[in-house]
Amino acid sequence: MEGADEGIERVVDSKDLQQQSKAFDKLTDRVEDRQLDSSRVQEAMASIAASAEADWQAMRMREKELAAVKINAADVDIIANELELDKKVAERTLREHKGDAVAAIRHLLR
Amino acid sequence: MGASLPPKEANLFKLIVKSYETKQYKKGLKAADAILKKFPDHGETLSMKGLTLNCMDRKSEAYELVRQGLKNDLKSHVCWHVYGLLYRSDREYREAIKCYRNALKIDPDNIEILRDLSLLQAQMRDLTGFVETRQQLLTLKSNHRMNWIGFAVAHHLNSNASKAIEILEAYEGTLEDDYPPENERCEHGEMLLYKISLLEECGFFQKALEELQKKELKIVDKLAYKEQEVSLLVKLAHLEEGEKLYRKLLSMNPDNYRYYEGLQKCVGLYSENGHYSLDEIDQLDALYRTLGQQYKWSSAVKRIPLDFLQGDKFQEAANNYIRPLLTKGIPSLFSDLSSLYNQPGKADILEQIILEIESSIKTTSQYPGGMEKEPPSTLMWTLFLLAQHYDRRGQYEIALSKINEAIDHTPTVIDLYSVKSRILKHAGDLVAAAAFADEARCMDLADRYVNSECVKRMLQADQVALAEKTAVLFTKDGDQHNNLHDMQCMWYELAGAESYFRQGNLGMALKKFLSVEKHYADITEDQFDFHSYCLRKMTLHTYVEMLKFQDQLHSHAYFHKAAAGAIRCYIELHDSPPKLTTEEDNDLSKLLPSQKKKMRQKQRKAEARAKKEAEEKNEESSAGGISKSGKRHAKPVDPDPCGEKLLQVEDPLLEATKYLKLLQKNSPDSLETHFLSFELYMRKQRILLAFQAVKQLLRLDAEHPDSHRCLIKFFNKVGSMIAPVTDSEKLIWSVLEAERQTISQLHGKSLFETNNSFLEKHEDSLTHRAAFGETLYILDPNRRSEAVKLIEGSPNNIVPTNGVLGPIREWKLIDCVAVHKLLGTVLVDQDAALRWKVRCAELFPYSTYFEGSRSSASPNSAFNQIRKSSENGSSNHSVGDHNAESGTSNGKLEAFKDLTI
Repeated sequence: MEGADEGIERVVDSKDLQQQSKAFDKLTDRVEDRQLDSSRVQEAMASIAASAEADWQAMRMREKELAAVKINAADVDIIANELELDKKVAERTLREHKGDAVAAIRHLLR
Repeated sequence: MGASLPPKEANLFKLIVKSYETKQYKKGLKAADAILKKFPDHGETLSMKGLTLNCMDRKSEAYELVRQGLKNDLKSHVCWHVYGLLYRSDREYREAIKCYRNALKIDPDNIEILRDLSLLQAQMRDLTGFVETRQQLLTLKSNHRMNWIGFAVAHHLNSNASKAIEILEAYEGTLEDDYPPENERCEHGEMLLYKISLLEECGFFQKALEELQKKELKIVDKLAYKEQEVSLLVKLAHLEEGEKLYRKLLSMNPDNYRYYEGLQKCVGLYSENGHYSLDEIDQLDALYRTLGQQYKWSSAVKRIPLDFLQGDKFQEAANNYIRPLLTKGIPSLFSDLSSLYNQPGKADILEQIILEIESSIKTTSQYPGGMEKEPPSTLMWTLFLLAQHYDRRGQYEIALSKINEAIDHTPTVIDLYSVKSRILKHAGDLVAAAAFADEARCMDLADRYVNSECVKRMLQADQVALAEKTAVLFTKDGDQHNNLHDMQCMWYELAGAESYFRQGNLGMALKKFLSVEKHYADITEDQFDFHSYCLRKMTLHTYVEMLKFQDQLHSHAYFHKAAAGAIRCYIELHDSPPKLTTEEDNDLSKLLPSQKKKMRQKQRKAEARAKKEAEEKNEESSAGGISKSGKRHAKPVDPDPCGEKLLQVEDPLLEATKYLKLLQKNSPDSLETHFLSFELYMRKQRILLAFQAVKQLLRLDAEHPDSHRCLIKFFNKVGSMIAPVTDSEKLIWSVLEAERQTISQLHGKSLFETNNSFLEKHEDSLTHRAAFGETLYILDPNRRSEAVKLIEGSPNNIVPTNGVLGPIREWKLIDCVAVHKLLGTVLVDQDAALRWKVRCAELFPYSTYFEGSRSSASPNSAFNQIRKSSENGSSNHSVGDHNAESGTSNGKLEAFKDLTI
């Protein structure tokens, strides 16, 4: 249900404005999607590989590593406040630098 | 969807949805009311009615109804979906996404909701989410073309172009061999070009070239085909074929500089930095002579050699280039040549050429060595060119004498007055510049370009009311200058904002700077409808380019100016808060009771009058008019016409930070960005962030005066801080200790020594001496006189040049103005400031700032004398008074002739 924001009343006082208004309205017109031959589609779908699995596994390993790092909660607060960052960003950076607050800050000041 | 309704009402509900989709809102409203008559609490109908009202500009009703509908039916995916659509229309994208996700929890495979979600993810550049959603859509409806295309584009945007190629090839595999039908040839051709550009992007040049040539018959856009092919040939080092194809492209469009550049690359004669050996120059010269024979009507083939030729060859080619254009009277000739002035030695050669032409035409009416007599206009255009030449070289007196000579020759040419205006602006007389721009405007009242130029000069001269009146001559009747805001006329708003800022009107300045920022927000929003439209039209390459452009949108110079201006306003607001009511009351308390009463009455009357005027202004501006989309409706009343509410901001520095973050992200290579960052964070006591700004300044230009100022200021402040006590302070201290080692300017030196080293390195530069003086004063206020002496002792050396007429000195007007302000407000030495002013008045006689003897600020100047007499009868700027206006303008013209040497 794509909606248009334009109002329904339209007063035309020039040909150019009329064309302009029509073109703008046409942009958000409702149009049916083109359909494809369904027998060929089945073959094509099978050829789409699921390589997302490996990527997801790699990301999970990374997140697990980071979660194991010990950090000082006070450091997170200081970094978030002094550098005006979201706490999640501050925490993640601290974890990536193995809890070393000075190194984390120097990285963020890059 | 409406499952709980009886059949009759269920059909009506479907009608509401269809009416919404086809924008027949009145019809949908009628259907909704019919259902609600019988089922007044039906959640989904209430929601749909609200959504329909939202499209009819009844927003508050819409929210009320949608929330009521959702409250009545929390487990309806329709209600959540509608709520999301409502938020989306108000650009509350994050809230909208939450609503869509809630809707999908209830109905996980709803195609419409997934599609709307994908649009928001594209808008918000949540690219991994976008890929997931498009994949889900493809899985659910794999026989829809748009889902294949959407999935491919999503992968491309998520930096996986090779996966996108796979998907497009799989999609092609679903098509018939005789595809496409006639009515879809354009769409299919665009898709093929997009796929080939993906192959090129992945570095598969050979495969891309093969695919391109194989699909030639199916690609409709022949120009894009050729350009893509030649790009691939060059990357594959098939240079002979590339050369052939570039020559073919040149025969199609011999004024496209990129084709010449490509041809040069194919024959091995291209240099990125524009530097060529003597041998290469000879080969290039021969190449362009040959091309010149082929494309006689092309300007590019004659102009490009001027970029690489040197010495005598340059002189000859420039002479041959300039003469026909002077004869024809091309006003843009100087603009065409102006990039040559950045190359060493060419400005001198050009000066020599043009002076010889001038001299020869004056004596013989012929070019030097020429056989034919030139028309009288050639002399005028030669003088016109010379005036611009000397203006560019900073020799304003000579420039003015040349332009005046041209005006004497033919006083009816508009361009002459425009150029005179520009020369006066560069020389520092903004008032006279505005007057001559107005003179030019009056000579062609139907030309908006010259009207706009005049408006800009007026704003630069701080004549805001006059500028508004002049600008209104070309706005829609009844819209006044709000029309310029509606049409996103940013140059006007920026120039106006800067004028208000100079005059100390922070409210209006802030209002205008922020309205420019709003235009950029609107432009960002404008891309939304194209996420589905471009997939339908298959203009994928252009769509992806648009998305990349949008990602860089806030890098544009206008946004930078607006954001920097807004930040300056907020800093000013922070440093000098507007007077509070209590302070005014304290002033009142010193008066006698009867005087108090009178004062309050007077105040109340003044406030009432101001309020009434503001209301009248609002009513005027909210009068009905046609907006861009063709709607007639009352414009929303401006809640803050004079920017007063903007001044009441509780935390100006917090507001400034919003715009600073945008500058830091989008203009990281601008010194100004980090200078403002330093000023802001020092005030916020964010030591580490201020330090980051200093680091950035040093990275960009360690020798810049502002970089030096910030370095000294920062470490002076840090040095004066007490020993760290809290954990926070200790951590900051540790970081600064570690980082200090990386700053070479400070190695083993005190700040005084660092400052002295800076001076030794740059003692010939006025701007660097000023920075040194300021920092010396900061480090030791007792050494103010020493600082002043050093600044006043700056040398003003003559720039080495072969210029025939007069010397050019190093000092620039803008720098001298900055020094004057430094002496007067930072070092607070009024005697020195006065001496500086007198000195600069001689160096810049046209400067109104320094009240130079030839400027319109001087009481004895011709401009002021004529202005006194014109005060007896002021002219206005309406079109109806054209004759009277013309008469007055002629008077001004007579006066300004006396501005010559």
